[in-house]
Amino acid sequence: MHRTKRNVLLLASSLGLLLLWQVIAKSVNIPVLMPALGPIFTALRSLTNGPTFSTNILSTVLRALRSFVIIVISGSILGLIGGRNKTISLILKPFVTTLKATPVMSVILLAFIWFSSSSVPLFSAFMMGFPLMYLQIEQGVNQLDPTLAEMCDLYDVPPKTKLFYYTLPSLAPWFVAGSRATLSMIWKVVIAAEVLTVPRYGVGSRLQLAQVQLQTDVVLSWTLVAILLTALGDLLFEGIVQGVVIVRSTVQRRRADALQKSI
Amino acid sequence: MHFKKVSKAYDDHIVFDRFSLSLEPKTILSVAGPSGGGKTTLLRLAAGLIECDSGEVIREEEKVSFLFQEPRLLPNVNVWANVEITLRSFYELAERKRIALHYLALAEMNEVLHLYPHELSGGMRQRVAIARAFAHPAQLMLLDEPFQSLDIRLRMRLIKAFITLWEEERRTTIFVTHDTKEAILIGDRVLCLGDPQKPLLDEKIDIPRKARDIHDPTLMALEAKLFGLLMQS
Repeated sequence: MHRTKRNVLLLASSLGLLLLWQVIAKSVNIPVLMPALGPIFTALRSLTNGPTFSTNILSTVLRALRSFVIIVISGSILGLIGGRNKTISLILKPFVTTLKATPVMSVILLAFIWFSSSSVPLFSAFMMGFPLMYLQIEQGVNQLDPTLAEMCDLYDVPPKTKLFYYTLPSLAPWFVAGSRATLSMIWKVVIAAEVLTVPRYGVGSRLQLAQVQLQTDVVLSWTLVAILLTALGDLLFEGIVQGVVIVRSTVQRRRADALQKSI
Repeated sequence: MHFKKVSKAYDDHIVFDRFSLSLEPKTILSVAGPSGGGKTTLLRLAAGLIECDSGEVIREEEKVSFLFQEPRLLPNVNVWANVEITLRSFYELAERKRIALHYLALAEMNEVLHLYPHELSGGMRQRVAIARAFAHPAQLMLLDEPFQSLDIRLRMRLIKAFITLWEEERRTTIFVTHDTKEAILIGDRVLCLGDPQKPLLDEKIDIPRKARDIHDPTLMALEAKLFGLLMQS
């Protein structure tokens, strides 16, 4: 489909969704149950102008980023080991399979029993995000083309060159897919953990307080903030990925062009 | 290189049984034979990728380059890098540049150094693989039906490119093929596998490679003989 047509369609359907919300809110006419768009955006404006808005956002973002970095590093390292070593893969399998099937809330509640409240979002995000990253990398290693590895060995390609020109580029799509899935997952888990543990600052804590005080418009405003944070995170991630791809191919192209000129 | 009383079996399937063969240095040995007759096993034994069950494979040539059925190019690097990185264990950058460019030019791929394998046609990919095989400082070249998936015109062009490159720097070569014409046009000697103990056919071709015409009566007779053996086996 043409890009402009696609964007117009997406915009129209988003506006349609907002219109539907407004129509239902007006017909229900009970602001505590379903506030109209006007009060929601007013609440959003007032909370963004509030003194602790950025502190709340930053706290959640830092929790999510910390979890993300830990998951990406540990999932990649263990995924590489699991992909190469069948014994390690089998040892980790029950752990990963159990985690994949465990409901998010069970993990958060158990973490709340076992740890201090400040560690709960980090721990829960790790438990939920780790299997995604680990499985992607493990699968990537299993899908490495053995015929290319054989070619590298036959042609005496040095191990470091093989790593940077064959192994890592072949694993890159799996790494990107795993990181993307992890990032989407940890926003939800971190905010859910904040809702239950109510740390001093955090989007989840604000959601919880607003819910207790029956401020549905504020709950929805913070939900909108959470959606925007997720979208922004995804956008930033895609930007970084695209950037890396462009820089890499530009460098290779420039080298080849320079070489072609020197012939 | 020598195969001395080599035996190799895969479960119950005996591929070689006390099989012996010696290769003349700096010549091309064309190897034809039925599927499962041991052509690829012979190459893999020569490359040291597999071990024989008994007997001995003696290789004076230290370095080996292998031209596979498929080009086996690294998908994430361009034409230039695909050749250049296989030289890193042997040469400094300036020398790598010179050698890679030389062989890519001979393979007529020097205009597309920046392209990636997915941007090339099947024939172009195989040309890069040929350039890579020749650029590698190997004394032994092993070719496993490298032209089989290409159409006849492209195949003939690549065979010509291969011969030009080979004549420039002669190396001991084993060329496995299903195609009887290819075997006769390229080889200094033609071998037909099919019996685990000895070749069904082992004939030298004295006509210089560049003077060979497939309509030459001697070559036609040899091709008919090879064809007949392949049909029987």
